[in-house]
Amino acid sequence: MWKAITLVIIALGLLGAVVWSGGRSERADFTFINRGDVNTLDLQRMSYLQDLRVARILFEGLVQNDVFSEDFRVVPAVAESWEISEDGTEYTFTIRDDAKWSNGSPVRASDFVYSWRRAMLPDTAADYYKLFALIEGVQEFYDWRTAELSAIATGTSTYDSGADLWQATEAKFADTVKLEARDDRTLWMRLVRPTPYWLDICAFAVFYPVYPRLLAQYERINPGTGRVDSQRGWTKAGTLISNGPFVLTDWKFKRRMWFEQNPHWWNQDLLAIRTIEIPSMEDSNAQVLAFQTGAVDWVSDVTAAYRAEIYAQKQAFYDEHRDEYDRLLAEGWDAVEIDRRLPRDPRNMLQVWPVFGTYFYNFNCLPTLPDGRENPFADRRIRRAFAMAIDKKSVTDEVRRIGEPVARTLIPPDSIGGYTSPDGMVHIGAVAGDAERAAIAAEARALIEDAGWADRMPIIEILFNKDAGHDLIAQAVAKNWERYLGIEVRLVTKEVKVYRDDLKNRNYMVARAGWYGDYGDPTTFLGINKTGDGNNDRAYSNPDYDQLLLDAGNERDPVKRMQILTEAERILIEEDFPLVPIFHYSSVYLSNPFRMSGISTHARSKQNLYLTDILTDGIGPDEPKRMPMKPRSAEGRSLTAPTPSEGSVQ
Amino acid sequence: MTGLILRRLAQLPLILLVIYTLTLTLAWAVPGNPLENPDGRRPPPEVQEQMLRQYNLDSFWRFYGSYLDSATGVRYLRDTISGDAAQRAQVAAEAGLSPEPRFVFDLGPSLQYDDWRVNEIVAGSLPVSVALGAAAIIIATIVGTLAGVVGAVKPNSFADLSTLAIALVGISLPNFVIGTVLLLIFGVWLQVLPIGGWGGIDRMIMPAVTLSLPFAAYIARLTRMGMIEQLGSDYIRTARAKGASERTVILKHALKNAFLPVLSFLGPASALAMTGSFVVERVFNVPGIGQHFVNGVQNKDLFLIMGVVLIFATLLVLLNLVVDVLYRWVDPRIT
Repeated sequence: MWKAITLVIIALGLLGAVVWSGGRSERADFTFINRGDVNTLDLQRMSYLQDLRVARILFEGLVQNDVFSEDFRVVPAVAESWEISEDGTEYTFTIRDDAKWSNGSPVRASDFVYSWRRAMLPDTAADYYKLFALIEGVQEFYDWRTAELSAIATGTSTYDSGADLWQATEAKFADTVKLEARDDRTLWMRLVRPTPYWLDICAFAVFYPVYPRLLAQYERINPGTGRVDSQRGWTKAGTLISNGPFVLTDWKFKRRMWFEQNPHWWNQDLLAIRTIEIPSMEDSNAQVLAFQTGAVDWVSDVTAAYRAEIYAQKQAFYDEHRDEYDRLLAEGWDAVEIDRRLPRDPRNMLQVWPVFGTYFYNFNCLPTLPDGRENPFADRRIRRAFAMAIDKKSVTDEVRRIGEPVARTLIPPDSIGGYTSPDGMVHIGAVAGDAERAAIAAEARALIEDAGWADRMPIIEILFNKDAGHDLIAQAVAKNWERYLGIEVRLVTKEVKVYRDDLKNRNYMVARAGWYGDYGDPTTFLGINKTGDGNNDRAYSNPDYDQLLLDAGNERDPVKRMQILTEAERILIEEDFPLVPIFHYSSVYLSNPFRMSGISTHARSKQNLYLTDILTDGIGPDEPKRMPMKPRSAEGRSLTAPTPSEGSVQ
Repeated sequence: MTGLILRRLAQLPLILLVIYTLTLTLAWAVPGNPLENPDGRRPPPEVQEQMLRQYNLDSFWRFYGSYLDSATGVRYLRDTISGDAAQRAQVAAEAGLSPEPRFVFDLGPSLQYDDWRVNEIVAGSLPVSVALGAAAIIIATIVGTLAGVVGAVKPNSFADLSTLAIALVGISLPNFVIGTVLLLIFGVWLQVLPIGGWGGIDRMIMPAVTLSLPFAAYIARLTRMGMIEQLGSDYIRTARAKGASERTVILKHALKNAFLPVLSFLGPASALAMTGSFVVERVFNVPGIGQHFVNGVQNKDLFLIMGVVLIFATLLVLLNLVVDVLYRWVDPRIT
């Protein structure tokens, strides 16, 4: 028996030693929980929000957005200046001479050419290659290489080997793609057509540079297929070379990422924190606990089931200080600064404000569903009727309960400078009285009658994925339709990957969907409704709409261009209804405004976290960063109001 | 004994092949496209096609063959013999970079987490789960056996009934409830233990205890039943008649025999505990391997699913072998 106990004690000791060896107690200056684990740090292959957020900590592009300006203006970064040709298609960037990689070598114009070329190669399978195709010749180059690669695969290629094809590819690139490093510090490009938001796109992390000499070691031309085979591994801590404010010094999968200042970054004086940590924490409950015990400074996406209760407490806190709150709002302080100027209170740690994304319902516009059934939603009168009968306010007020603004438009209002949103359509939740509601319901029913579906309406199916409370929203919508239209509704819930497949195959009648904008132009939202667009899950096709987008592309006058785009959006949400916007997403952050600064409240919802300053640590200015003053009356609190009313988003 | 070990080890590849085929068939049949993002935009169709080809996801048999090729180490051997690997290492060395890591049993890339290979994911998370699982099993064995013995010596006493009650709670309350309650008490209210993460014995206590509870409860019941049976048997009466002390009777004679069913339970239980618990890992934010079973299936990350299933199968076979060997050692009557 004692032998056994001895054995057990030895085993425990060993175990302890194993565990102890991995121990650590240090805490970074700034610790935050990202929206999810990083999927990749390969810039050109990124598409997840959390990846892009980390990319901006590690890398720096030609230009960047000033996230603390009202219009999110583009300011110099690696490029110290740029010139745009008369006709708006040629851009010449001058790279600052103190821009350096984290190993000390200078950032050259050719580094950008190399990085962007990666995204233009079909081999890389870059999600965003279409954005690069705004540069002249890219589409031709991409299609050429795609054809050549499949020729090799089918044995019909004119090239003897993969290496030969690669040589030809480099020559083809130089010939066709209008992107050149004129010298080490001059990068020139010509666009297919004038693109007023091109600089904003250049601030998008997919356009940031990777270090060519590092990647070259991980890439080789497959002699058989001719393809560039790239190996993983260059993004790991200790290997990765970046050119941004911080470097990655530790990355343990599903444990943590650790960042330290990049001593070679040209603008180091800007930094007010020395280290950043991103612990990996999936459980939404644990995230809130970690914040409450002080283990993390910022939770970027609070999803705990009781977040609506936390939000309600914050509203109660505002109510207690209503006069003070209204005064600060009228003075024009931003949402974080208002919290900072109200008394300290544990309820004051949750921040909710609208961001650059919209939650909507798709209507399938195909005349017949893939299984052969006739589809009522092919008729826009039906789509209109169903869109009218959704009580959006009940979704935001009773289901979501975090004060998200009801959406009348696809593009969040006030998020893009110079763009005026169309009015949108009245929905049944926007009117107060029973009589008005009955009138809207009657109008919707008449539309169905008109379309000839009144007595043969099939059971309507709503498709959604099973996570994140989509079921509750679908139930609310189904109840609306049953009540106001007298129609039977069935809920179809699927695993997310299956749901995505069904969307792509248009195997649904009505489906939940969402979209976040990538860059500061209406086309980031409107493009997904173009005929044949890869993200047009609705199979929507209207030649007038497509023409308007084309016209906007050719319009040189920015004011007129925006008017054309307003008209395009108006067709979507007032006439055709391939989709019905339900609410605009809000970010739900946990942070202590008295402890930290650096979170932007701009509706574009892009955070440049290297700007973070811990106000209590004596490093950096310890002076809060604020948005420009923007006085708001109690009625006009479109961006920062705790309880945006229906009237405020019109 | 050696024969048994050799026989079992020889069976292992066969078992793994069957499991591999079955799992891949099932995982392949799961609807959904592994390359789809959960939200928002999808890559252009030509990009998607390109990726399908790159990972051999366009044909079941091609995937079946190529995965087998790399996971069994055949590819590693081929690359080594052909000198291909050496050549690559030289190129890297010339550029002043460390060569890319090579794996004998290469379990492929993760489809969801682009920058990681399944080998790296397993290497990072399996030791965590093994350490946690071992701790849980040790706690469960000590606590469970003690509770069982106490209960059996004085059946229906207060001590017996209370251990039975605790065992019932341990079996019936789900892990996430116990885990959350522990977190709340020791992490948030008393603030004596860290609320999650990994590294340091203090972070291990709560998850290990939570994970051990159902096992401890089951072991307690097994021991109690076995002890009651043994204590009523003839040889115990003889031992007592012979004047052996009660401690000797219980610990040396009865427990040794009553422990046999516990021992056979420990094999699969260890495999289960050491390959991670999704729930415990999530509640305490432990970076173990259990999460990958669930995430792998949810993301339809074929490489990850196959990797963790094969690791789990191997562990299960090996731990069962260990138990069988122990069994024979404890009770030579079994052949």
